[in-house]
Amino acid sequence: MGSGSLLTTVATSPTPALWLPATATVATFREVSRASEREARLRALVDRYIDFVARVLRNAGTPEAEVDDDVQRTFIAVSKRLDDVRPDAEKSFLLQTALRMAAHARRTLARRREVHDSDAQLRIQAPIGTEQLLDQKRARELLDRVLETMAPDLRTVFVLYELEELSMIEISGILVIPQGTVASRLRRARADFRDRVRALSQIPHAEVGS
Amino acid sequence: MSEPARLHTEPESELERSLLDAGRSYKVSAASRSKALAALGIVGVTASSTSAASAVTKAGLGKWLAASALVAGAALPALHYLRQNPTKPALDPSAVGATAANAPVAAAVAPAPSAALAASSAVEPTRSSVPGPVHTESKPAALAAELGALDAARSALASGDTSGALARLDAYARNFPRGKLSLEAEVLRIDALAKSGQTAAAQKRAQAFIQRHPDSVLAARVRAYAGQ
Repeated sequence: MGSGSLLTTVATSPTPALWLPATATVATFREVSRASEREARLRALVDRYIDFVARVLRNAGTPEAEVDDDVQRTFIAVSKRLDDVRPDAEKSFLLQTALRMAAHARRTLARRREVHDSDAQLRIQAPIGTEQLLDQKRARELLDRVLETMAPDLRTVFVLYELEELSMIEISGILVIPQGTVASRLRRARADFRDRVRALSQIPHAEVGS
Repeated sequence: MSEPARLHTEPESELERSLLDAGRSYKVSAASRSKALAALGIVGVTASSTSAASAVTKAGLGKWLAASALVAGAALPALHYLRQNPTKPALDPSAVGATAANAPVAAAVAPAPSAALAASSAVEPTRSSVPGPVHTESKPAALAAELGALDAARSALASGDTSGALARLDAYARNFPRGKLSLEAEVLRIDALAKSGQTAAAQKRAQAFIQRHPDSVLAARVRAYAGQ
């Protein structure tokens, strides 16, 4: 692409006159190019962050079957606020939105489980060998099991630090909690996670989930 | 604040490693991406023709062109539908009158003649064979063709095919020397160059882009490559 065309295209392209009412040309074309930039920005957001958003949702508690819906809700939320979101704050905005969605999904799931029985606790049929190689699907199931049993506050810090590799300072900013609180939650979360993973392989299945 | 090493770098067991990896590697499918774009009113590159067309009718191109108060804008969803079904008889310019009736999506969103017209003028270069006020209707069709060309490049890039993406962007530049989406094309090119390892070229273009369009929302997208 000739580099010169970049400058001239939006501002001076004569083509709209051919297909727009003359009086509307300038204002309308500005609007169109603004809409185009907006769409480009949204596309870029989806391209760049969709895996991130989906992963956070999933790890923070949105069930697999509802991830797509919550991904869409998250991006729709950002699209409604697009003009207020600075480009360098896009990731934080998406993250905060996704965490709220996941928290909602978690609560809904918890209510559903109260109504029905607690079969979920019996999903683990037998102790898992610690050196056993697991396929991805099974590993995902077990991870869900472990994360579901962690306290939500600890789970969130764990997911952001261990799975998203955010720094403790970033987490403090995202969750709007003091850095010392992040540090102590992380310490407890890591210990808790390790205990629960060890428990998968050591405790007879009847006690798993207690 | 001292940051402890992430657990996955020193897992206690194979089991722990598997669980952490499962959490870290979660990805969405191409279909999920298309659905997200559709929900935003943007045509998804990998959506099936039907869902893409319905996405367009919701908001995407419709909204894009609503600002220009164009009756022919309504032909775009039909064009998208037809473009994704190249074997449909609708693409035969000699069948212009009959085609719209064969294409339910086209019939639903636009008066039949304009839909078929816009579609055939974009896909079939010999549009002089198509009767009617071509110059008023070919512009939105050209815009849709531009969008399609960029979608193809983006799709190639998303699947990791950087050279394919660059080739498509070259084709875009040739076919649309004054393209209305050339800014977006340039951003895609910078992306593709960086991802193909041509970081110096990407940086140079990114810097030039930011200099020319400092206030563009797209500038934010290339800033990382500009080393600024």
